[in-house]
Amino acid sequence: MGQFRKFGVVATAAILAVAVGACAEDDNGGGGDTGGPIRVGAILDITGAGASLGVPERKTLELLTKKTNEAGGIGNRKIELTIEDNQSTEDGAAKAMNELVSKNVDIIIGASRTGTSLAMRPIAESAKMPMISMAANVKVTDGATWVFKTAQNDAAVLANVVDYAKSKGWKKIGLARDSSAFGEGVAELLNELGKADGISVVVTEKFAPDATEFTAQMLNIRNARADMNLIWGIPPAAALAQKAYKQLGITAPVMQSHGIGNQVFLDTAGTSADGLVAPVGRLVVADQLPASDPQKAVLTKFVADYRAAYNETPSTFAGHAWDAFQLAADAFKAVGTDKQKVRDKLEQVKGFVGITGIYMMTAKDHSGLGKDALVLVTVQNSKWALAPK
Amino acid sequence: MTDLLQLLVAGISVGAIYALIAMGFTVIFSVSEVINLTQGEFAALAGLIAITATTAGLPLPLALLISVVTVVTVALLVRLILSPVKRMTTLLSIMLTLGLSTALKAAMLLIWGPEGRGLDPFPGNDFVVWGISVRAQYLWIIGVTAAVSVAVAWFYERTLTGKALRACAEQPTAARLVGISVSGAGLLSFGIAGLLGGVAGVLASPVYFSAWDSGLALGLKGFVAATLGGLTSIRGAVAGGVMLGVLESLVAGYIDSGFRDAVAFVVLIVVLVARPGGILRQHSVARV
Repeated sequence: MGQFRKFGVVATAAILAVAVGACAEDDNGGGGDTGGPIRVGAILDITGAGASLGVPERKTLELLTKKTNEAGGIGNRKIELTIEDNQSTEDGAAKAMNELVSKNVDIIIGASRTGTSLAMRPIAESAKMPMISMAANVKVTDGATWVFKTAQNDAAVLANVVDYAKSKGWKKIGLARDSSAFGEGVAELLNELGKADGISVVVTEKFAPDATEFTAQMLNIRNARADMNLIWGIPPAAALAQKAYKQLGITAPVMQSHGIGNQVFLDTAGTSADGLVAPVGRLVVADQLPASDPQKAVLTKFVADYRAAYNETPSTFAGHAWDAFQLAADAFKAVGTDKQKVRDKLEQVKGFVGITGIYMMTAKDHSGLGKDALVLVTVQNSKWALAPK
Repeated sequence: MTDLLQLLVAGISVGAIYALIAMGFTVIFSVSEVINLTQGEFAALAGLIAITATTAGLPLPLALLISVVTVVTVALLVRLILSPVKRMTTLLSIMLTLGLSTALKAAMLLIWGPEGRGLDPFPGNDFVVWGISVRAQYLWIIGVTAAVSVAVAWFYERTLTGKALRACAEQPTAARLVGISVSGAGLLSFGIAGLLGGVAGVLASPVYFSAWDSGLALGLKGFVAATLGGLTSIRGAVAGGVMLGVLESLVAGYIDSGFRDAVAFVVLIVVLVARPGGILRQHSVARV
């Protein structure tokens, strides 16, 4: 008991010391006119199952930091970027988050996937640390005060799927989904959104985000004889699932999620991807958009910049990172680095034209994107194309 | 019925890869009681080298040759790094090779980056027979594994060198007395294990992908398969690998695909408790 009391005293003292320290730092950085650098922390899924997301995100953040600093920084303050790899694990994300919070960076960007982002969220909330996630599941920002996100909500994607199914007259949907947090709740949401039109999920199969063998899942999908099937995952798993789908000779039309917007998907799926339909961000079809599209200029410039730096086409995940960085940079430009002011500024974003969509944040919606942030694309000869209406 | 056969085809194909890795564990353990945890990394390395070679424009057979030869060299290097240890015990070997496997993984991450890739499939057309879709690569995997297993079993049971290796396993001191080099035998067993790991890696890559960290899962499953065979029997390792692959496939198909990766570990626990000598123990009195 005595020991516990002693521990309690020490812990309380430590917490107080940290709190005082944090206040002191806030006072220093509050005006946004100090000479020190703006410190941006990023926690990304660079190795492990999320690698095809985290790697382009890292490249984008590094590119934008370099460009911003070359142009003189923000309000004469350079940006200092710290990138941590959470190895696509929840505990890795929480650990990196605690580390960056204790370093008292000015904002945290990340993580790349839903599970890792959810692990960071409570830490951001309790430390009052602005955080911009790049994950899809609405749970990342639902009811959050300090957490924002740039990827389209799964609900927005599924609304597009339901609309498309409705236009084709499909009622029964077979679902093969990622077993991690990214895939949680997809079946329930589909049933809810499709209820009015009699659209429902007739079978749900799961696969691990790093799975390579899909025979079992796809056999069960084939036996369910749905009108259409939806594969919900990220590459390479989503691409291998697509391959298995075609190899087992399933003839029902197949849709995929917005998790597939990168070259890794096309390279891995090969010819098996031809004909699929997916609601994806406009980036992959930037060159095919009409000139009247409000995002066209931003998209074209980003593709050109990224190509010049890395000699490859950016993925939609790179776009999520671009949006997160620009949202943060705009907030810093307007209000400096006071965390409360940055948070308030992010919540007031209206009409910011990003790569992923045009953001309309509200106190209730920290994602700011609706179903119009996605377009239906298809794959023809291993290239993205706008889907015929 | 079609479903069952389809699941069996997929299961045997995965199982064949496990069998190759399991044989790698077995050939080393049966000669020197070393458990070589870099066995899975051999496979990952082989896949990645072959991918780089084919991307550079080399023809597939040459790429495969380069990759397997490199992996055999790496395996021999692993043996040389371990050789200064005077009193090698199984526990010590586990710790040492765990360190080496981490180092190999880190090197692969630095060279190839974090993203997984697949080698182009070997030549041949996928086809459908009795409603079962068969990928050409499955046939390559099963065929090559069968040939390699027979060759390794023949080598150990019929050739003089193979018999010398078995002698080292049985009675190291007596083997040395009759003029067999025990350290040479250790080196040879690592070379064979490297070859097996390399072949497994290039066969698996087109279907199951290669990444810097894919050796971990392969190594664990291969180890479970080897344990099924009692860790000292080539036939047991092959049987264990195929059984494990088929069991995984059936569990994923008929129970829940989420349990696929749990199968190996449940099997491991059951075997270690119920039949620690391996499922085929009563058939093989001597090692190998």
